[in-house]
Amino acid sequence: MTERSTGPPELGGPVTWIRNVVRRSWNDLLSVYYANTLIWRVFKSGALVFLGLFCWTGANLLLSYRPDWGILWYVMAYGFLLLFWGPFTHFVVVPFVIRMRKRGDGPIARFISRHGSKTNLTIFLILVLVLGTFPVGPMTFEFQLPSGSESSGDVNPQLQCTKSEEEVHCHLSDSRGIDQLVVTSSDRTIETVEESPFEFDVRIDELESVRGQKQFTVELRDSDGQTLRRYVRVVETIPGE
Amino acid sequence: MSTLGLFDNDYDEDGFRRCSVTGLNVHRTVENLVKLFGLSAVVAMVIGGTFAFFVAMTRWEVIGLLEAQDYYVHLTLHAWNLLIFWMVFMEIAVLYVGGPMVLGRRLPLTALAKTGWVTMVVGAVLVNLGVWMTAPPDTAPLLTAYVPLTAHPWFYAGAILFILGAIVAAIPFFVTLWREKRGQPYKTLPLIAFGAFATSIIAFEALVGGLVTFVVAFLWRMEFIGWMDAAWYRHMYWTIGHSTQQINLAAMVTVWYFLTHVVGGAEVVSEKVSRTAFILYIFFINLGAAHHILSDPAVSTGWRIWNASYAMYGAAFASMIHAFAIPAGIEAGRRKRGLGGGLFGWLTSAPWNNPVFSATVFSIVLFGFVGGITGVVMGQLQVNMTWHNTFATVGHFHATVALGTTLAFMGLVYFVVRTMFLRRFVFDRLATLQPYLYAGGMGIATLMMLYAGLLYGVPRRTAEVVENIPGTEFNLAAAAPLFAIFGVFAVIAILAGAAFVLVAVASILVGERVDGTGSDADIVPDGGATVDEDDPVHAYEMRGTFLLCLLFLAVFVASYVANWYLLTELWSVGL
Repeated sequence: MTERSTGPPELGGPVTWIRNVVRRSWNDLLSVYYANTLIWRVFKSGALVFLGLFCWTGANLLLSYRPDWGILWYVMAYGFLLLFWGPFTHFVVVPFVIRMRKRGDGPIARFISRHGSKTNLTIFLILVLVLGTFPVGPMTFEFQLPSGSESSGDVNPQLQCTKSEEEVHCHLSDSRGIDQLVVTSSDRTIETVEESPFEFDVRIDELESVRGQKQFTVELRDSDGQTLRRYVRVVETIPGE
Repeated sequence: MSTLGLFDNDYDEDGFRRCSVTGLNVHRTVENLVKLFGLSAVVAMVIGGTFAFFVAMTRWEVIGLLEAQDYYVHLTLHAWNLLIFWMVFMEIAVLYVGGPMVLGRRLPLTALAKTGWVTMVVGAVLVNLGVWMTAPPDTAPLLTAYVPLTAHPWFYAGAILFILGAIVAAIPFFVTLWREKRGQPYKTLPLIAFGAFATSIIAFEALVGGLVTFVVAFLWRMEFIGWMDAAWYRHMYWTIGHSTQQINLAAMVTVWYFLTHVVGGAEVVSEKVSRTAFILYIFFINLGAAHHILSDPAVSTGWRIWNASYAMYGAAFASMIHAFAIPAGIEAGRRKRGLGGGLFGWLTSAPWNNPVFSATVFSIVLFGFVGGITGVVMGQLQVNMTWHNTFATVGHFHATVALGTTLAFMGLVYFVVRTMFLRRFVFDRLATLQPYLYAGGMGIATLMMLYAGLLYGVPRRTAEVVENIPGTEFNLAAAAPLFAIFGVFAVIAILAGAAFVLVAVASILVGERVDGTGSDADIVPDGGATVDEDDPVHAYEMRGTFLLCLLFLAVFVASYVANWYLLTELWSVGL
């Protein structure tokens, strides 16, 4: 069986051409829908999962910008359901319908073989409408900042240092939200400050050199010991004497 | 070289044997070095894959395995072993396959090739040790060891040795081509050799740039040089930092042409067009590195506009050509064998049980739809700003490298196991399923990275993501559903990677030996069905490919429009 093209096809009028294209596309669509080899089932399920993810997350994203576009709730529901319904359809429903079609005995088998896919798609579309109208929690992403947050704002003070011949003196522009300040050089802790306003002095000869330059690290921590900010200062670049 | 019987195929007195699958005359020197580099690549993959587990389980904050400092060390080792060592070892193997093996020549200067291998291995070990031993004031460098941040001196030394080793190992390939052309100056190279040659040019530019960068940085770290310009370093660094990934791209496309032909029965639809696409890569693909410094004050506006638009279109156009040429070649080739069967019969009747074929095709599809589109979109001057340093960037390069190149190279390793180690696959069913599991698992994990970055602006490189960003009003807890999906599928991908190593190594060690002709029905196209070589491929339909390409373009346009829409919303254009 070869598929060589043997010359230009006969063309009718534009209406005939459109009718042929539509008919051929519909037949192609049906043949793809009912294709039941393992690789086709994997292809179709994989493609629908990817499409579902795209619709689900994309609709969520657009809704965060355009909450008034109601249609997006249905796109979101379609994508969310497709994640499960796509593989379910092509791994369970279509093979079952085809099996019933081959057996063909009894009214139930005949009903399923004739109407199984339509029923499946109808249930799917009804669920899309229901979920789009009454969206459930796991389907929707939360984009707003959580209300009632205990956070007291950004902790982003400036670390200002000056140096003398022997020492570096540093302080923070703001000490709100900070529980502890730790100064290290290399892996050695030089100073720990636990009281506001978190000023400290370090002796320059205590500092380790990196590539011939003395430097130290200042770490700000919260009450849970979690690092909020980290600053690295090279003595050479600190203003002073 | 006969360790464990891995290097003991039957060669004639001149050292050649005829491969019953490819029909190529293979010399002992080529085959043994391909095996050596391939096995080294797999070892790097095991190490990098192990660290992938720790990285993924830290970003999935429900588990939150590592502290921030440890996380960055693990992330660095994950990245260097998978993005650099696994890839470059494989790429040297690709050069040897694409050069001397395809041309039916022995590998010249084998001592040099082995020296290159030893140097690369020493370099890789040093980088691993240097990163593992990182302690303050040094920091784990990930891939961007930006000066003036300091890394362990062994890291720089290891990087230099590895790059130097790769250049040395590539020399025999260049000598092969030189001898081939000197002997037959008017004969064109086969397409695979041409693709390998284009890859080597791109690689040479990247590696020499990297050598300059890291040698100077090493001298600076050792205090032989007092000062180093950070902007110069960044610019130079990206000649290797991103261009190594462009080597992956060119090598991967070469592997696509090779494997789809050998195991899928694909034909080359137009040699000239495919060669032109490779030439476009040589001119433009390395300029893709520019997107890393689009926000850098050291580069001019003209530089940005050139690199993020005109030059990028040259590379994207080349990729589009390959994106059509390869599936079209599969379609036409299979229809020629009488395996058309409607719109997509040529695709569904393909040898999907053969992991060489399935890994290659998944690589093509996922690279194109996920990696390629995101690369072009985020590479633009304007849209880049919504992507840069978010987790979406990580998603992009996982789509290109972890999905595209890794899958293609997995296919190539399977092919080497079967045709050079001459072993059948053990764990048959697992071997068949492995590319599906990896492609599915990594594909969905990658999409989650993209969505987390684009939807929420989740940052890259940090250990803390979802719970909170300490000390800020930002709270990304709402991204938790995406990270839950990411975590589960990342585990699936890592297990599938482990399955790949298991199948490949076990097959080499205990697989049934293939004993010559007559036993290749499982690997050659359609059990060895032959076709009329004089039958022109253009006489066959390629409408299935055409439809797939239209689908691809539709996804491309949708992604393009969506990203621009988000950008306009960000800046409230028109308000």
